[in-house]
Amino acid sequence: MEFLLENILNMIGFIVGLAIGLMSLIGFRNTGSPTLFRLTIAFFAISAGFLIIWVGYLAADFVTKSGDIERWVQTTGIIVQTVGYFFIAFSHSIKAFLPKSSYFRSVGVVPLFLISSVQIEHIFRSISFILLAYGAIETILSYLDTRNRGAISVASGLALLALGEFLGWYSFVFPESILYTTSISIKIAGLVALFIPVSRLPLTRIRVDDGLDGEGDEWEEEEEAEEEGREDGGARREEGREDRSADTHGRVQEPDAEEARSTPAPDGGSPGRVEPKDGR
Amino acid sequence: MAGYRTRMEIIGDILSTTRDDCQDEQGATVTYLIKKANVSYPRLSEILSMLVKQGLLEVDRTKNSSKYRISENGREFLLAYNTFTEFSSDYGLNI
Repeated sequence: MEFLLENILNMIGFIVGLAIGLMSLIGFRNTGSPTLFRLTIAFFAISAGFLIIWVGYLAADFVTKSGDIERWVQTTGIIVQTVGYFFIAFSHSIKAFLPKSSYFRSVGVVPLFLISSVQIEHIFRSISFILLAYGAIETILSYLDTRNRGAISVASGLALLALGEFLGWYSFVFPESILYTTSISIKIAGLVALFIPVSRLPLTRIRVDDGLDGEGDEWEEEEEAEEEGREDGGARREEGREDRSADTHGRVQEPDAEEARSTPAPDGGSPGRVEPKDGR
Repeated sequence: MAGYRTRMEIIGDILSTTRDDCQDEQGATVTYLIKKANVSYPRLSEILSMLVKQGLLEVDRTKNSSKYRISENGREFLLAYNTFTEFSSDYGLNI
């Protein structure tokens, strides 16, 4: 039962992480937002972590037939996932990583590391828990600020993942109990909750731009394309808005940015992408 | 808990103003954009020149003033910007 649930969890984790990562990547490609870049790294890492563990379980089932995943494979997967959780937390700003209260700092957090320091896997599970809990709290604060209902779903997802991670870590104390199964089920629910905002995106209006294939060359042609874009822009306005749905989203690039890239419109226009100077 | 706008958000505000809130069909003047987008002149002029260079804004220079209006590419960018602003907001982040 646990073996099946683990496979389902890791498959869903891989798919959800990949979907959110791809959406973030498309957003980064279109806008150049560093926030979306961090989200891309975060969710690709989470997806890769789940994939590693999933492959480990499949290998244990079909190749080695040992019936149990290799410990180093599971540890590697968990470390890669933790990197992803770190980037989510980092996006929320790392300044409030530890609780301000000295009581919580000494009593609430440190034991997580002390108790679990026996194995690397436990250490990373506890780190994941902290990062996820931090991300959930920041997302809830963001919801209180913006009242964006999608944030509730994400906060719930992160909180459920954190709870699942905690129970999974705690199940080492009671290995034969129902804790581990419960942990996996909660994590699956968390991943589904994380996916809800992505499922609401208007996919018909977003597509991977042509710049994905050869951005460097296109940026070199920026000056030429810029002139063409200006000429074509006026002409296309007269043609009406129907063409827009088939066009590539523009990206703005600062003139002095080192990694200058652009996304030419199908007609040769040259939108770029924005690189915020302040790094936000 | 209002914070500083990121550069990306300022650009979004400028483009939104030139798309939805122009003075006339010729576009918006710098003074109008300063007021509507709430940006200082030095920062606005730097961003405007960058947006024009990237083809997101078109400028109509006359004897007395320059007027800026959004280009087709600018509309495309703004569409993507709005979509992914909401996406980031879902994750509790600013784009």
